[in-house]
Amino acid sequence: MIGQVYIEGDLRVGGIVEGEVEVTGDVEIDDMAKVKASLAGRDVNIRGHVDGAVVARKRLVVAKSGSLIGDVRVARLIIQDGATFSGKVSMGAGAATAAPAKAIQAPAPVAEPEPKVETAPEKPAVAVMPAPVIAASKISTPSVIKTATPAPIKSAAPAPLAELRVAGKDGGKAKPVAALAKGKQNKKKKRR
Amino acid sequence: METQEAIAESTPVETDGQSDSKRDGQKRFTLGPNDSLEGKLTYGGSMAVEGGGRAEGELRLGGNVEVGNGSVVKALIEASNVTIKGEVEGRLTARDKLTLGKNAKLNGDVQVRRLQIEDGASLNGYVRMGDFEQQAPGS
Repeated sequence: MIGQVYIEGDLRVGGIVEGEVEVTGDVEIDDMAKVKASLAGRDVNIRGHVDGAVVARKRLVVAKSGSLIGDVRVARLIIQDGATFSGKVSMGAGAATAAPAKAIQAPAPVAEPEPKVETAPEKPAVAVMPAPVIAASKISTPSVIKTATPAPIKSAAPAPLAELRVAGKDGGKAKPVAALAKGKQNKKKKRR
Repeated sequence: METQEAIAESTPVETDGQSDSKRDGQKRFTLGPNDSLEGKLTYGGSMAVEGGGRAEGELRLGGNVEVGNGSVVKALIEASNVTIKGEVEGRLTARDKLTLGKNAKLNGDVQVRRLQIEDGASLNGYVRMGDFEQQAPGS
């Protein structure tokens, strides 16, 4: 997928993602995944390739199959032997507390801002007016977003968020979202 | 933090000759609780700072550096393998592997070939992995 995603819940990525990913729960990047995006989440677990800034409010793990190129703000950091990592690490009190605020309220600064998202009309004000962002995202990946992930796509409009929350709670947090995500990725793969 | 000659300020520099020379055929010394080192050290072997030992300045080693729990090192470090369980401040180059134990604190930019960070370790600085522009003279 290409674009911006905001998810209340957990996310598992098994395919290709470009843009900006923000998750209130945990993020898992599978072995085969290629992510060229900024990531924000609580626990972030990387087993695939990630190129972009990462904010983990709780913990970032780069497994031995993982590779991460990008600056990192985390509360706790684990890098397993064999992992590849390059970037600036900010850790400890300042980073840990500053990170969540930024991640949740203003994703824009956390992210690598303009470039990769093919949504030229989109403006930096991601957090403020998500609705136009959605629209912008749709320009680049219309079918994907509509079909695969009605709920998780960023939107300040209360309704969709509520939907997603419900989905997450009812069906066991991780799985439905992961399923959604996977569906998403598959479709995205096809598209690319 | 002037970098001049190596000055071992206190006497007891234990050389764990036996086990270590057996291990990798290298020279090795240990800075213990009452030991401190200030200045510039160039050494072909390995060193360990343990139990509250201190080192400050510049450490260029052909072998490995180990900073034990409770020890503090404020120095530019260059070595093959660097294992940190204590506190380190300064630029660090590990020609092979850098390991941060669970109580380690590292402040400084890091260049390594391999990197392992255990849960609980704290790291602040820029990490670069891979090729080295300048290989250490080492031994």
